[in-house]
Amino acid sequence: MSRSGRWAWLWPGAATGPAGDDETEPDPRFTFANERTFLAWSRTALALVVAGLAIVQLLPPFPGVPIGRHLLGVPLIVLGAVLAVVAYAEWVNNQSALRRGKPLPRSVMPWILAATIAGMAAISAIVLLASAVR
Amino acid sequence: MTGTRGSQPPGGSPDDSEPEERQPGLARERTSLAWTRTAISFAALGGVVLKVNVVSGLIILAIAPLVWQLGRVSRSNSPGTDLPAVGTTRIRLITVSIVVVSLLSLIVALLGKSAPGALR
Repeated sequence: MSRSGRWAWLWPGAATGPAGDDETEPDPRFTFANERTFLAWSRTALALVVAGLAIVQLLPPFPGVPIGRHLLGVPLIVLGAVLAVVAYAEWVNNQSALRRGKPLPRSVMPWILAATIAGMAAISAIVLLASAVR
Repeated sequence: MTGTRGSQPPGGSPDDSEPEERQPGLARERTSLAWTRTAISFAALGGVVLKVNVVSGLIILAIAPLVWQLGRVSRSNSPGTDLPAVGTTRIRLITVSIVVVSLLSLIVALLGKSAPGALR
């Protein structure tokens, strides 16, 4: 299994161990930028968890839809965890690409977040409509 | 993840290829502030969970200063130089922390006693 492929993040230290023959330490500014991007996605993941928890625990129940709050909140919490793991994988892959002087791989994070927001908007609309009808 | 963002590798210009010529400038401060914001995010989540479950909330609140300390460790690992200390450990710790916090939140959301109408 190659350490430079898509699954390089599974190897401990694959992107941060001693530089190999085809690797050089990248410009620190890019390393810092990669780290800040990871931290920004981590905060986004935490925000999803907070939103999910607040929906389940603090919102009033939807009339006629007893599981409405869980339908909205639980996926947000799960996606928060997923986002954190994907952010870590992308940090490793980006760091590896920087060390090899290769172009950065395309990020799937915006797609995940956009799909999450669109999905939650659809579920919210369904829950609200079902609640209004009853 | 097969595409690329650009055709040029982000390795910097040849003029600043030597490590001693690389000055991160304010990048270090921006990164330090990012760590602080992440720690505050953990504290905010801990505050929300504290309202529902005291033990879980305190656990998450205790993570906040640890995250802030991780950011400081990343700076002190490179004494006498402006080069950043690149380590997987602290990044991995943050990831594990968020996954654990998500699981705690999931348990609290599913089993915890809710306070319906608190946001009414």
